[in-house]
Amino acid sequence: MNPIAEITGHKEIIVCAGAGGVGKTTTAAAIAVRAAAGGKKTVVVTIDPARRLASSLGLKELSNEPTQVSKRKFAAAGLDLKGELHALMLDTKSTFDEVVLRYAPTEQQARRIIANRFYRNISGTLSGTQEYMAMEKLYELHAGGAYDLIVIDTPPTRNALDFLDAPRRLTDFLESRVLRWFLLPYVKAGGGFMRFANVAAVAFLRVVKRIVGGSVLDDTAEFFANLDGMYDGFKARARDVAALLQSETASFVVITSPAEESVLEATYFASRLNEAHLAFGALVVNRVHPRFGDGSGATPRQQARLAQGDEAARRLAQLLDNEASFMRIVRLEEKNLKALARKVPRHRWVHVPYLEREAVDLDGLAVIAAHLFA
Amino acid sequence: MNPDMSVDELLNPRIHIVCGKGGVGKTTVSAALALVAARHGRKVCVVEVDRRGSLPKLFGAKSPSYEPSELSPGVWGLNVLQEEALAEYLNVQYHMQRISRVLTSSHFVDYITIAAPGLKDILVLGKIWYLEQDRSADGKHYDFDTIIVDAPAAGHMAAFLSAPMGLSDAVQVGPIRRQSDWLVEMLQDTARTVAHVVAMAEEMPVAETVATSAALHDRLHIAQGAAFVNGLYPKIVGASAERAVEDGSEARDGLIRAGALVNLTLDDGDLDALADYARFLSSRRKIQARHLRALRKGIDQPILKLPFLFSSGIALPEIEMLADDIEQQALEL
Repeated sequence: MNPIAEITGHKEIIVCAGAGGVGKTTTAAAIAVRAAAGGKKTVVVTIDPARRLASSLGLKELSNEPTQVSKRKFAAAGLDLKGELHALMLDTKSTFDEVVLRYAPTEQQARRIIANRFYRNISGTLSGTQEYMAMEKLYELHAGGAYDLIVIDTPPTRNALDFLDAPRRLTDFLESRVLRWFLLPYVKAGGGFMRFANVAAVAFLRVVKRIVGGSVLDDTAEFFANLDGMYDGFKARARDVAALLQSETASFVVITSPAEESVLEATYFASRLNEAHLAFGALVVNRVHPRFGDGSGATPRQQARLAQGDEAARRLAQLLDNEASFMRIVRLEEKNLKALARKVPRHRWVHVPYLEREAVDLDGLAVIAAHLFA
Repeated sequence: MNPDMSVDELLNPRIHIVCGKGGVGKTTVSAALALVAARHGRKVCVVEVDRRGSLPKLFGAKSPSYEPSELSPGVWGLNVLQEEALAEYLNVQYHMQRISRVLTSSHFVDYITIAAPGLKDILVLGKIWYLEQDRSADGKHYDFDTIIVDAPAAGHMAAFLSAPMGLSDAVQVGPIRRQSDWLVEMLQDTARTVAHVVAMAEEMPVAETVATSAALHDRLHIAQGAAFVNGLYPKIVGASAERAVEDGSEARDGLIRAGALVNLTLDDGDLDALADYARFLSSRRKIQARHLRALRKGIDQPILKLPFLFSSGIALPEIEMLADDIEQQALEL
């Protein structure tokens, strides 16, 4: 059975992962379109701020809450819609605010954190925050129980594995002992330097104050003071999210191109999923150069003679040159993919060839879905 | 840019910032541009920012250090790591060696990044400023004629280049404030800095390139040189050859006879494969031409076209080829 069809039929969560620029968002959207058409109440979550997903679904824009794609749009594309399709684009900042509101002991404390300038900078600057919030949104949508299937794409990181490690980076940072030890004198003294604080910490605070200014230090102190007592909530939730991803209900789709770096990343990712006890659902190989036959086997000498011959010979030389060029790429891609086959069994593979059109609308997504589910 | 741009004009200001979305081949373009400059007798330094050292690999050299090292004759490389730039800054400005091990720990760097967004970018740009001023931390004089910056991917590019302009209000005084004023001057001076955008002839990369170009113009006020388009399939097969190989064409037999003359036996299956590849090439070229037109409509600067490389990897010979292409097209512009 086609692996994409299999997991779409049986799972509640599909996470699309892969290096940047290999077609993650489009794959996620195409899977969701097909699942919705087939009768599932589906939501697709995108991290990519590109407007293209919205417009390809016929929506003006996406927000942090699901927007439904109308049945009319499906009908216009000649698709029968038995289920429902909703789409949302992750807003890291609002999702983080929701998390703070949930774990703060009082609403007042949450409001103080949300208004804090140091806090406001976190979601835009600390790497890992976006990944953490993506997982948070996923958990929330799943716990809400409103959907049969959630398809989520992962942030466009340089390294496809970042989203597995990143949530921990945020919680580690918030909990950092070293940082708190250095900031402690400042926090304890309510913004002033404690007289008997350790020497290194005071030196540190002086430098920070010189670089970023005293008001930022005040903001930091207030932020960490307000955050006290919320770590357990963060950590418990992070554990719940990890358990959900490891459960029977979730499956991962890894998207790759046949290019060497992309394949290396996918190979490494496949083994990491394994180690982390995450279910590998399918491998999507995008944009493979097609193989037509085994090559005509012309020697360079024959080619050279043809290139200097009459008109028919020169035409043939061009055609042979073209074939040889593509065959070189085809063989190279095959070699790259063979290495990947050692990690991921072929029956988990799905190929999407070079297509004439890009997926700019529901029609285009349906064409990609036809290949994904073939 | 002047319509009769020559290679010298392409290489005119000293600092070249190469910008583009991840995966469009910024590093390849940076390397090819460096070769062009070196061929014209310039001493070049390519600055990578927080990379895993893909540039030196192109030249068959080892990973570059934090200080410039020569990758190939006339071409130097340098990898600026944000963490190291921060550590160096703290050491130079505040003599923080004593506790610098703690200070360069990831949590501290994260802390500074959040507390003063843009600071790391300013320090990295500062490193470029020092190269331009020929004042390096190791006290050596490099005297680079051309400095090529392989900028961070487009998502981060605007933040990177605008950091000195939008520095957090907190940092209004001190050495950082002074330095960011110098950096704004450096970036916005058309006699010192030019930015080149890199694209691929695909829908998303074209859209992002147009946006990047607009941001450089409207928000960052940085002059723009050329737009490089990577991965264009060359016209290997002419129209008459494409028609001749089609199934049912009378000229098909002529191709088989031409093969027989050089002892190459071709059957109908072989010709079908040749036809399939010719059709594939032509369909990809048509799609690319469409996206190229969209790019041309969206930006003002001249477009330099670089071919798709039918090779097993990119190393010095491929970079040499791309450098040839750049030189030739710069002459024709």
